[in-house]
Amino acid sequence: MNLRELYVKRRGQFWGEILPYLGYVIQSGVAVVFLFLLIAFAAWYTALLQQVPPDLPIRWIMLIFLVPLMINSSIRTYLRTADTVFLIPQESRMKEYFRKAWFSGVFYKIIGLGLVLLILWPLYIRSDASPKTLLATFAVLTVFKLLSSYGSWKEQLMVSRNAAAAYRVFRWIVPALSLAAWLWHPTGRALLFMALLGLTYVAALSVPVKHLVAWERLIAVEQRQASRVMMVLSWFVNVPQREQRVHARKWLSGWGKGLAWKKESAYRFLLIKSLTRSDILGILIRVGLLGAFIVWATRDSLVSALVYLISLMIVGLQLSALRKLHPESFWLHVYPLPEGTRRDNEGKLIFQVQLFWAVLLWLPLVPGILSAPGRILGTMAAGIAVVFLFRSAAARKSRREDDDDE
Amino acid sequence: MSEQPVLSVQGLSGGYSINRPVLHDVTFQVEPGEMVGLIGLNGAGKSTTMKHILGLMNPQKGTIQVQGKSRSEHSEAYHSALAFVPESPLLYEEMTVREHLEFTARSYGVSREDYETRSAQLSKMFRMEEKMDSLSTHLSKGMRQKVMIMCAFVARPSLYIIDEPFLGLDPLGIRSLLDFMLELKASGASVLLSSHILSTIENYCDRFIVLHRGSIIAQGTLKEIQDQAGRPGMSLEELFNVLIQDGKGE
Repeated sequence: MNLRELYVKRRGQFWGEILPYLGYVIQSGVAVVFLFLLIAFAAWYTALLQQVPPDLPIRWIMLIFLVPLMINSSIRTYLRTADTVFLIPQESRMKEYFRKAWFSGVFYKIIGLGLVLLILWPLYIRSDASPKTLLATFAVLTVFKLLSSYGSWKEQLMVSRNAAAAYRVFRWIVPALSLAAWLWHPTGRALLFMALLGLTYVAALSVPVKHLVAWERLIAVEQRQASRVMMVLSWFVNVPQREQRVHARKWLSGWGKGLAWKKESAYRFLLIKSLTRSDILGILIRVGLLGAFIVWATRDSLVSALVYLISLMIVGLQLSALRKLHPESFWLHVYPLPEGTRRDNEGKLIFQVQLFWAVLLWLPLVPGILSAPGRILGTMAAGIAVVFLFRSAAARKSRREDDDDE
Repeated sequence: MSEQPVLSVQGLSGGYSINRPVLHDVTFQVEPGEMVGLIGLNGAGKSTTMKHILGLMNPQKGTIQVQGKSRSEHSEAYHSALAFVPESPLLYEEMTVREHLEFTARSYGVSREDYETRSAQLSKMFRMEEKMDSLSTHLSKGMRQKVMIMCAFVARPSLYIIDEPFLGLDPLGIRSLLDFMLELKASGASVLLSSHILSTIENYCDRFIVLHRGSIIAQGTLKEIQDQAGRPGMSLEELFNVLIQDGKGE
């Protein structure tokens, strides 16, 4: 069996499924909104470059934008459940298969990292008192990106999950410290520090006991990654949903218990549980925290309103994925749910959660309400308008889908 | 006047393609308080029959009524009157065992008090008390099957459609299930049960329907089927072999 060819074939099959949807994504209104935001960002960034603030913390900005990209090292394996039966005899040869997966996973991410570096570069050389060279910086990023991907792969293979969790922390620390050393210290000293740190990390990675192939874990990770691709597509077009990762989130297990005990709210109960334990809520929390922080950091300018509205739109897009979680759910066909309650419950819950986020994201602006009441109340009003727009757009879409079904 | 059947299937033909129906003119009834075994080889049409009853497939010909109501005219009342236990557990990964029971109870309009009583009783009966707050992803296959059974039983409708319930259950689980089905039967509920473990269901079912290649080749009590096959005193398993090998219905 040619494992390299098998990998290429599976990758082709997956992207063969995805590509037909890309046309719809480009045609969709949301894609136009993104394009508009991109143009707005380009205009804002050009203006910023023309008048760079004198005390811009550029090294921190470089660190904040580049470190997550250096560390993010998901590798698509396209493994399937049946592989635990049919590919296990090839276990000793699976390196051939994974080599291809690893190369594909790292190569495109390095290109992405390079692009972000290129975007940040004009700001960096204008702001930093003693900037490093572009090529050397790119080389540093590439080396630590490769190291981080190698570390991430080894973590997957570790038998002890506690050890893997500890190494995950190292994987964040090593690239972050290395890039910090590169940005803050003279080249020679920084290189020496990075070399020592990198070699220690590689040596440490060889210590924990590892599986030759961690089949079940790799399959679970692959399913999660495939479902994320589908989730992103589902923002634009109806796509078949795959299993999402489930997070226990015990601290939220009480949500839904207080619902009125009646048939009409049964589907809302299911939706609340799905939202509570889905990736969607994790993204909402991250968008909420990051958005609120940036809104607070830019609270004295109109940028805060822009960030507020963009964050709220991202929240709305994420929440729209909730509608795609149970369209073909078996039990919803069998259980005697009252007609029409599915659409009602979806619409109401998404509206309420987005409204809640609209208030949360607005809170960092409240302390300044006396100094600029018009701008801050106007921001809130615009946010509420966005939430209502999302609701009416979703209702229109639902009606259209219902008409198509009939 | 005779009592209305809980389930009435009349002249049902259907399948995945109009040109190649899987079921051919299937007719049977399930009376109140009756447990009926639906038996047949793999591919005989048992699951297809159940899918038609559940409304997952539309009949090409014939009618299906539950408590005298058809699905097309009284969808909510039709579905309220039946509960299903599938052959392979179908659970929401994001819900705990307790939440599955609660979702089912809410969907069927079971009162909160009844839900709490039933859920406590079922969790004890199936030895799932310690797993009630576990996510379904953390359950073994047998436990997942128990959750399916518990969900059906928490609803307490008048008809249970149960497809291969013993798969994956441990011996104590099978015993609890059979005992509980008898209890439900005694309370007036009806069960349509499909299983390949003929020696077990022989002692529990009141009547049997033998499906072969999408047609009913025999139905009735064990005695009636023995008479139809001309083999008095034979066990259900032996009778089934005789009926299939005789190629009746071909």
